[in-house]
Formats: sequence, C-alpha cells, structure tokens
Amino acid sequence: MEVEKKKNRILIVDDEKDFRELLKFWLESKGYEVIIAINGQDAIQKTKNQNLDLIFMDLHMPIMDGKETIKQIREFNKDIPIVVISAYIEDAKVKEAMEYNISGAFYKGEDFEKGLVLLETVLRRHRGLK
Amino acid sequence: MTEAGIYIITILISVVLGIILAYISSLRISSAKEKKNIKDDALTDLETPELESKDSFHSLLFKEINNVVGSSKKSKLITYKVGEIFEQTLKNKVDAVSSEISHKYENIIAEKTKNEEIAWGKYKEILNDKKETEAVIRSIAEGLVVVDAKGNVIMMNPAAEKLLGVPSKEKTGKSILEGLKEEQIVSLVKSNEREKNKEIELVSPNEETKKILRASSAVIEDEDGKPVGMVSVLSDITKQKELDRLKSNFVSSVTHELRTPLVAIEKSISLLLTESIPESQQREFLSIAQRNIKRLTNLINDLLDMSKLEAGKMSISCQLCSIVDVINEAVSGLKSWADTKSIEIKKIIEDNLPQINIDPNRIIQVLINLIGNAIKFTPNSGTITIEAKFISADNEIEVAVQDTGIGIPKEDLVHIFDKFFQIEGERIPTDISGSGIGLSVAKEIIKLHKGRIWAESEKGKGARFIFRLPLS
Repeated sequence: MEVEKKKNRILIVDDEKDFRELLKFWLESKGYEVIIAINGQDAIQKTKNQNLDLIFMDLHMPIMDGKETIKQIREFNKDIPIVVISAYIEDAKVKEAMEYNISGAFYKGEDFEKGLVLLETVLRRHRGLK
Repeated sequence: MTEAGIYIITILISVVLGIILAYISSLRISSAKEKKNIKDDALTDLETPELESKDSFHSLLFKEINNVVGSSKKSKLITYKVGEIFEQTLKNKVDAVSSEISHKYENIIAEKTKNEEIAWGKYKEILNDKKETEAVIRSIAEGLVVVDAKGNVIMMNPAAEKLLGVPSKEKTGKSILEGLKEEQIVSLVKSNEREKNKEIELVSPNEETKKILRASSAVIEDEDGKPVGMVSVLSDITKQKELDRLKSNFVSSVTHELRTPLVAIEKSISLLLTESIPESQQREFLSIAQRNIKRLTNLINDLLDMSKLEAGKMSISCQLCSIVDVINEAVSGLKSWADTKSIEIKKIIEDNLPQINIDPNRIIQVLINLIGNAIKFTPNSGTITIEAKFISADNEIEVAVQDTGIGIPKEDLVHIFDKFFQIEGERIPTDISGSGIGLSVAKEIIKLHKGRIWAESEKGKGARFIFRLPLS
C-alpha cells in the first residue's frame, strides 16, 4: 500500500481501554492518525467536530451501545464509513447494525493485519464512490 | 211304554245313583285319610249335623242329593260331607296356588332387593372413587383444565384457577382464554393446533408480575375415536424460565469476560513480537498482558469458588487478625485500578478495633469484590469510602463500602446477591461488566463466617455494601 500524503484520520470507539490502545498503536504504526472515543456520546461529539475518514465502532458498550451510536451518527452524517467491532463472530448485534449502512465488521479475535486490509479496502471503495 | 217298564228304569237309575254316591263316599274317606288326616269317625260322630244354609252352593247341592236319596237327614249329611270335601279341596288348591305365588313373589322381591343393594354398593363405590379422583385433581399442584370440543371449559382445579387468576365458576362453560384480560395474555406463541405443548405468558394488569405457564394438552376421544375435548395440564415455569435466562446471560457474560482479556493479551504479545516498539511502549504492552492475565485468573477463581460453594466444599481457615490489615491489603491491590479513573479511596476506621477470628484471605476476597464493584460503578473522579467500626451491642465488627456511583435501583437490591444476577441493560453504568457471581460468592463467604451482608442504596446517592462479622 502506498502511503497517503495526507494521513487518514480514524476514530476508534471502544469502552475497553486495553483493546483500543492496542488498536490505536497498531494503526498509528501503519501511518494513520487515530482519535479515541470511550463511549457513544463522546463518539457523536468527535464525529461532529473532527474531519474523519473512518470509524471503528465497538458494538458492546454500556449506556449507549454501538448500534444506537451509529443510528445517531447517521442522522447527521450518512456518508462516513463505519466498521463495527465485536468480540464474537456469532454476534447478533452485527446483523442488527447492518441496517445503518455499515461498511464491514472486524472481530477482536482476528489479527490486526486482517483489520488493516479491511480498513484499506473500505477507504479505497469509499474514495472510488466519491 | 208300560208302567212296569217305567218302574224298572226308575229302579235302575236309583241303583246307579246309589253306586255313584257310595263310590264318592269311599273316595272322600280315602282322600281325607291321605290329605288332611280328618278323623275316621267323622261320619259316625256327625250323624245329623245342622246344615246351615250357608250359601246357594250348599242349598243347591242339598236339593240335588235330597232328590236322589229322598231322606232329608242323610241328604244333609251327604251335602255336608261333599261340601266339606269340596271346600277342603278348593282350599288346598287355593292354598297351594297362593303359596306358590307368594313364594314366587318373595323370590322376586328378594332378588330385586339384592340387585338394589348391589347397585347401591356400586354407586357408593363409584361415588367414593369420584370423590377420591376429585380430591386428587383438587390437590395436585399443576393446574388441570378440561375443555369440550368447542374449547369451552368443563372443569378446572384450584391450581388452575390460581394460575389463570380466574375462579372456576366464572370459567365453566366459557373458552379457556375468555375472561382473561386482554393485556394479561402477552403471548400464546410457540404453538400451533397440532403441538401438544404451549407456552402462555401472562402479565398482571398492573404489570407487576409476569407468569409463564406451560400447557401440556391431550385430546380426549370417545369410543369411536372422535375428539370430544381436551385436557390440559398447566405448570408455572416462570422460575425455570428465569433461571434459564440467568444461566444463558451468565454463559454469554462469562464468554465475554474470558474473550476480552484473552484478546488484549494476545494482541499485546503479538505487537511485541512483530513490531519494533520503543521501550516505554513495550513496558506498557507487557503490563496490559499482565493485567489481563490477572483479570482472567480472578474470573477463573470466582468460577471455582462458586462451584465449590455449590458443592458445599468451600472451607475457611480462621485466625485471629486485625480487620485494618485486611482492609489495607485489599485496598493496596486495587489502588492502581482506582487511579486510572482518578477515584479516591478513603478509609474511616475506628481506633482500637478488637482482633477478630476470620479467614483473612477470604475476607480480602470479599473486600476486593466490593471495592472492585465500587470502582466499576463509580464515574471518574468519584470517591469510595471504607468504614470499619465495632458494634458493641451485637459484639460484631461492621465494615461498609460506600461509593458515589449511580446507585442500585430499589427493585434490584433484593436480587443483588443472587447468583448470575446483573443489573440489566442501560443501568450498567460504566466500563466493565461482571460475571454475576462475585457478590453471591461474597455472601457465601460471609455466611461461612456466621456474619451477614446487605446492600443499601438511594438513587443518585451511590451504593453502600455492609457486612458484619461476629467477634466470637
């Protein structure tokens, strides 16, 4: 993958501190700029205020879960690619979230490498559509 | 004819009549001897009995005999004797017939009475059987409802009345679901006509209680195999369902609890292995792995403790120790976690607390659980206060853990120590969910120490968990 001149800005939304820090480190090491949101409310604010290229959204969060957060984001931003994160492949929440224009799903047990391939594919496709 | 001829004929007739009468007399005597044992000398004794003109039969007989015999005295005697024989024979005949009839009649009556008695006996037997069956039906804990082919209730037992919340009188002759308030029936799902088991979900009008009934039904058929109705056994499976639900929640949350640290461990190690990472970052990743291994260990220990408690195999080894040391040790293990959320842990401990005979490791486990929960449910920059004091009236030491979280809803306070129980849905306030067994393990440990544990909470004022341990 050729490195983009302007860094893509990625928002990671996850209440699990360890996972989001590890993913952040990995994406940064691959040349992305990473912003963190620790809950749904935080994610909505940052999506409004920051110029983002993609969102990684954990579906299992207290108070406002990923699906609800995506629903609210879609009310003001129909366009931004969202990749959902879940701990399990068999997670029913992934299917539920599909109705809000989801670009893909990444499972926490999978290699980060796979997540990176997915991220690049989604970004390329999104640029193609634009 | 000449006069002589007529005379001869007359004499002949007289002779023949005489012979006949003589024969009748001899017959009468022999039959009297045989039958009624009438005295042989009756003829001589009763030479001239007064023939009372009893009836027309006697006077007719006398007239006829007198015509033949010509002697009134003899005729009277003969008439009497003949009459007596006749009467006796008739009487005997009548007696015989009436005795036969009465015998037959008696037999019929006897037989009838016997049959009636048998019938009565059988009726009583059946009545008793019926009463017995009814008593059995009345006393079984399962609800029993019988409906006819149209689906109208024929009978139901008290358990069914209770389960459906409708008295039998109101239901008899009506459809099984009629009379139940619309809002009471949430679902009659998971069933179709052919299926024998249905689940019926009922909710009381005020929605305070929910009941799930299982109805197992069987079709009642007549001799020709035509369906004439249906018998249904209703059992309350609300508790069973609730337990199923809690267990499946437990399994999914344990799975989640196992996966999350495993992912963190795996990811941090693979980053360490594959990337060139600055040294400061390396330390961070290693501590992520270490922290999550600890989290896994705690979870596994909790699970093991729970299975030990369930099997009644958990034992405690008590020793005299200071509750202050125990509290300090529990807090020191959690301080770094509290620091990540800028939570302050305050201690208010009475001076000169007496030593207490406890298993320090188990009490530390309880405190770690309570303080850990407090950290989970307290927002950043909150405060957790640990208090310890001596209650002289009860000779007990009381320890309380108070947080500044959102508190526990009142309806959940009673369940908080139940196995697998978790405060549901949006009420889970912060970042970590649990396995739902920590508090039930804590409760069991306190019980093993003959102490007690409870929770108090007011909405918005945080939660307070208190336990007391007896000194002796």
